[in-house]
Amino acid sequence: MNPVDITELRSAVLRTIDNASRDLINAARTVYSTPETGFNEHTTSKYVLQQLQALGLDVVTGIARTGMKAVLRGANPGPTVAVIAELDSLRVPLHPGADVVTGAAHACGHHAQIGSLLGVATALTRPEVRGALSGNVAFVITPAEEFIDIQGRLELKAAREIEFLSGKQEMIRLGTFNDVDMAMMVHTSAGNGDSAFSIGGTSNAHISHLVRYIGRSAHAGGSPGSGVNALQAAMLANLAVNTQRETFRELDVVRVHGIITNGGASVNSVPGEVVYEGRIRAISLEAIEPIAEKVVRCYRAGALAMGATVEVQAIAGYHPMRQDPSMKKLFVRNTEHLFGKDSISIVPDEQTHGGSTDMGDLSTIMPVIHPYANSASGVGHGHDYLIEDYDRAVVAPAKIMTSTILDLLGNGAAGAKEVLSKHTPLMTAERYVELQRGRFTAGTYEPS
Amino acid sequence: MADRSDLKSSFNTTVSGRAGELEQVAREILTHPESGYREQRTSKLVAEWFTASGLKVQSGVAKTGVIGTYDTGRPGPHIAIMGELDSLILPGHMFADPDTSAAHACGHHAQIGSMLTVVAGLVEETVKRGLVGKVSFMATPAEEYIELEYREVLRQAGEIEFFGGKQELIKLGFFNDVDIAMLTHTGGETTGTLGIGGSNNGMIGKTVQYIGRAAHAGGSPHLGVNALSAAQIGLAAINAQRDTFRDADTIRVHPIITRGGAAVNSVPADVRMETYVRASNVPAILNTSEKVDRALRAGALATGASVRIQTIPGYLPAKYDARLTEVYRHNAASLIGDDNVIELNHSTGCTDMGDVSQIVATIQPTANATSGNGHGIDYIVENYDLAVTKAGKAMGLTVIDLLSENGEKGRSIAGSFKAPMSIPDYLERMRSFRSDITYER
Repeated sequence: MNPVDITELRSAVLRTIDNASRDLINAARTVYSTPETGFNEHTTSKYVLQQLQALGLDVVTGIARTGMKAVLRGANPGPTVAVIAELDSLRVPLHPGADVVTGAAHACGHHAQIGSLLGVATALTRPEVRGALSGNVAFVITPAEEFIDIQGRLELKAAREIEFLSGKQEMIRLGTFNDVDMAMMVHTSAGNGDSAFSIGGTSNAHISHLVRYIGRSAHAGGSPGSGVNALQAAMLANLAVNTQRETFRELDVVRVHGIITNGGASVNSVPGEVVYEGRIRAISLEAIEPIAEKVVRCYRAGALAMGATVEVQAIAGYHPMRQDPSMKKLFVRNTEHLFGKDSISIVPDEQTHGGSTDMGDLSTIMPVIHPYANSASGVGHGHDYLIEDYDRAVVAPAKIMTSTILDLLGNGAAGAKEVLSKHTPLMTAERYVELQRGRFTAGTYEPS
Repeated sequence: MADRSDLKSSFNTTVSGRAGELEQVAREILTHPESGYREQRTSKLVAEWFTASGLKVQSGVAKTGVIGTYDTGRPGPHIAIMGELDSLILPGHMFADPDTSAAHACGHHAQIGSMLTVVAGLVEETVKRGLVGKVSFMATPAEEYIELEYREVLRQAGEIEFFGGKQELIKLGFFNDVDIAMLTHTGGETTGTLGIGGSNNGMIGKTVQYIGRAAHAGGSPHLGVNALSAAQIGLAAINAQRDTFRDADTIRVHPIITRGGAAVNSVPADVRMETYVRASNVPAILNTSEKVDRALRAGALATGASVRIQTIPGYLPAKYDARLTEVYRHNAASLIGDDNVIELNHSTGCTDMGDVSQIVATIQPTANATSGNGHGIDYIVENYDLAVTKAGKAMGLTVIDLLSENGEKGRSIAGSFKAPMSIPDYLERMRSFRSDITYER
């Protein structure tokens, strides 16, 4: 086959995205209007399936419940690059786009990712592209990036619907990424610097705890002396955790936070059962360990103080993200080419904004990038987080990713081969799965 | 031989004649306050009065206590009339000692006055001839359960075993043949009244020490273990127990921090607290004590500190004898009128009179002669005639009822009293409250 002129091809496919921009933005808005939390994205998943099938892609569905994968094969063999979009919403009941029943809301802009992934697919499924590619493009639509609804997901785990509690974690376990060599996605943001886009930095590792206090219920007015107040136990634990904060080192970027998901059944009964979802984040799995020890000690102290019992289940969370320098360089070059020299800012590798993502998990086994499109207003995960610039959130990322993929897989996949030659994965997928399994623990503390 | 009413009028006349000097003794003690087991000056003053009154005197009992024995030489009941020697420590009180901050913010000085008033009346020859039995006048040390560290030092030196003066007297055998006991406390109920009946909470004491690890509070707080945080969690955890306290048990738990850290730029590594656990009954005290220990341990567990909890026997709940109260009521009414003798409610404060009340028939009436809050800086005895003279008369007249006519009434009351515990049982019980446990991190 004759070598294809990438430059000419690039202009043609990018024009395709521009031409489809209204449809892509509409797709994002459609997803926005039906927010669904992780592993429950049935409507969203079905909608995305229809869009991918309309482009002629062969889609595998029902991966990790709602996830999907479609592989576009290039004419020549070569590495596989995954483009990722996340299906799920958060749960922010006060968000203007919130589902009135579930409180689910796209307060993290994942709907825009769906639009940009469809943009890449629209461009790359053009018939003339296939011949230019040495390798494949996998469109991976992932469930459940937001690590929430712990108790509900543990029920899915108990029912053997899932084993790990996030979409990408589960897909790694299921082998969805076994034929993928590198991955990219573009996330929205509300101001990572003044530039239109940003790339680089890392994210926090995390671990979750499902903490269940078991006291003894009794009439709260008539016989509180016969009760053991599980809510007091949980509140004391929270207070105790707060006293530990002065021992957290800034360089570990520690975050400890939680919510009470069951704070008692009725106000006139001493709470006999209280459930708390706790989260610990830090810069590395190693940094989490001593913090987790302190926090679990505090959970136990609440039980000891009240004479309650506490069950603590540790749940494997995310790994810190490492972004691949070569992929990063290509993404930056394409962004600058398309949107100008100052359109993208580079975040130092070691910088973390404190949040976590399961792209971090994927980054332990392959090269990834996770740039941001500065297109939203408000506070991420807040009730006021809204995509203001859909062109930048949906259309621009589609163009940059498409162009980057052409650089990776065009010209005999020279770009992708360079990425792979310079990259050493932290671990294999098998090792990752084994490690995550080991992070699940459960213990019951009954003070004597 | 004079009949009972003659004895009483002789008693009243004698006392009225000496009221001025007796009230002056109380004022003298007011202006020289000394806290428990340190009442050297007050003790000496009382001993001199006893001696001058012709009593057989024993000083240095339980360190600073003084006992004056009044013996008719005729067999009969043995009555203890008591007055407490010690003051509180309360900086800011009008009569606080400028050096020690000791202050009579609980009116004990008036008790010594009322006790000496009884002495003054009973030693009168006509009165003495008409009585049988014995009266031990006991000036008792250390009723206020304070300065726990100092008392622990005394305990370890073998000078005392118990922190309350009357407890020590019980241990030393001074109550072995006592049948009836009484003491008049000042009180803040309706002015001009004498209060009778009532009851008191009992208590145990605790000293608590959290041991953490010191570190630079700015430079390396992550290397420290904050004992003050441990104590704060302990305190919060104690508060979290309060909804389990039953109203009927009138539980009080009220800790203080006696050491909260050494220097603000060093993570506190040694933090100490003292607390009481009070309740109306011993099972409730013990049950609450367990909850308090659990709460204190939680502070240590949460922070990785260790905690040493020393539990110290405190006072037993006080129950006052109903028949003795009736005798007293009659005499009090003869002095101030029926309407001015009032029934007291349960008091959630504690006294080592509670311990006495578990062993012998006991009353602790109150002379409501004060203004301000008990144990507050504004607590002042306003009415010395009531607090010293009338209080002394009411007790003295009661003694006459008990010990005249061959002591029949005294014998009857002593005979019908069912002691909750014997003295050996009492001592065993009190010793069982003591524990010293360190919970390592």
